[in-house]
Amino acid sequence: MRMFLGFLIAYAALSAQDASQRKPDRVVSITAERFTFNPSKVTVREGELIEFVLTSDDTDHGFRIPGSGIDVAIPPQGKGEARIRFIASTKGRFVYECSRPCGAGHNLMRGAIIVK
Amino acid sequence: MVKYFVFLATACWAAALQGQSASDLERRIADLEKKLRLIDPAFGPENRADDLVRRLESLEKRVDELVGARQASAQPQQPPAQDSVTPAPALTPVSVTGDYRASAEAESRLPVSGYMDFHFNKESGDSFRPDFHRFVLLFGHSFSNRIKFWSELEVEHSLVEGGEETGEVAVEQAYLDFFIKPYFNLRAGMLLTPVGIVNERHEPPAYNGVERPFVETFIIPTTWRELGFGITGDLGKGFRYRAYLTSALDARRFDAEGGITEGRTAGFGASFRNPAKMARLEYAGVRRLTLGTSIYSGHTGFNTPGLNPRVTLFDADARYSFRRLDFRALFANTWLSWAAELNRRLQQRLGSDPNIASEMRGYYFEPAAHVFPRRWRTDLIAFGRYEKFNTQERMPEGYVPLEQFNRSAWITGLTFKPTADIALKFDYVFNRSASEVVRSLNGINLGLGWWF
Repeated sequence: MRMFLGFLIAYAALSAQDASQRKPDRVVSITAERFTFNPSKVTVREGELIEFVLTSDDTDHGFRIPGSGIDVAIPPQGKGEARIRFIASTKGRFVYECSRPCGAGHNLMRGAIIVK
Repeated sequence: MVKYFVFLATACWAAALQGQSASDLERRIADLEKKLRLIDPAFGPENRADDLVRRLESLEKRVDELVGARQASAQPQQPPAQDSVTPAPALTPVSVTGDYRASAEAESRLPVSGYMDFHFNKESGDSFRPDFHRFVLLFGHSFSNRIKFWSELEVEHSLVEGGEETGEVAVEQAYLDFFIKPYFNLRAGMLLTPVGIVNERHEPPAYNGVERPFVETFIIPTTWRELGFGITGDLGKGFRYRAYLTSALDARRFDAEGGITEGRTAGFGASFRNPAKMARLEYAGVRRLTLGTSIYSGHTGFNTPGLNPRVTLFDADARYSFRRLDFRALFANTWLSWAAELNRRLQQRLGSDPNIASEMRGYYFEPAAHVFPRRWRTDLIAFGRYEKFNTQERMPEGYVPLEQFNRSAWITGLTFKPTADIALKFDYVFNRSASEVVRSLNGINLGLGWWF
């Protein structure tokens, strides 16, 4: 019983390590360009730690996943990248969209994360 | 038993903490301080204590203050509702790093953006003429995550006087998007016709050359917008489409030089008796490659009773970037039915023969090279463009083409971008036509365009 309890507590301590220090299960590069994200559909597994590497091929764009609290600005071409990490906690389909006005087709600049 | 459990857990956590090196802890605290300064610039380096524990305490204190202030401002009077427990997000954010800038939580930061276009144009034998060509403001609003508004309001040539041809104030687009499924969404309002490259991507830094391509002026009449509604969607694997029903072109205003260009109603005095049908399919499944094709078909006779010519327009276009090279190409062809009858009808009304063609055609290709190394913060693009455009490609029986409208042009120039959103442009235009009588004039253009 004592051994089992010790193992349980050690496991809890390990899993509580900051997820930002872990190596992500999957790294996905997403390019933003008026008025598309490429890719516009990303499929991941439930529970995975995902890292998105976001770059732009023209002006600065935004990357927002409604309801998740994720909303960052992607710097313009040649000015670097934004990296976001998140855990795909629940199965489902989650829209991501440009949150920084980028021109005539801004509204259609959307994509989806499919968590299986 | 409980005491034993607590003791063991504490010991385990302490061991885990000791496992982290002091330098790692310091780096993480420094990272947190940096992030906090993005939210609260007042939390500057002067708040930094000497030892890590005090720095952590300082961070905790400031975060508590910010959270408290935010809760107070978010719900100043209302007690927390019993059933308003916020569900845990399905995608749990962990960290944000890189060269990003913090942005607001929602699209409330959208209220306005825009672009401006300021030109100096000079034709052979003439002096430079300044022209504040376009002053455009864009407004958007999100009613919800599924209903969004977008609009573009334009002032052309800086001055508008009633009825004068000195300028134009126009609603260039104003529509609502209703997002239903990725592959099926609705759109309604004043819509940009989804044809060609520039009509929907006309921000000055998005194309080379001071003026828009001739083919996308005389064959595809940018900026082409009509009232209507339609569907949009992402079919997956890089394929996207837009299909609309819109107000029709007005055949009464077609002519020999501009083809169908002057037939745009832009929603003013438009007719929906025979709505025009249009669709565009795009492939953007490979990074830096976009292929597109569009088809437009619509009757245009709402102002010519008893005569209802049909305009059909087909376009195929491509954009591709490879390393420091960019390529663009476009082909467009327009067919007009009942062109002879339309010419006769308009001649009776106007007193002169408009000599409208039954077929118009144009194409261009444009290679461009980024001159500066990628690591530089500025960009210089050298480009050349060849355009061939003929608004008298095929004439109806009994009509002879006007050769001065069988034109071609070489445009060569530079685009300097101190940032991605500002373009200082220079180009030289060699104009040619098939006419031996009417001489084409070359031109020099200087331009400054910006987007914000």
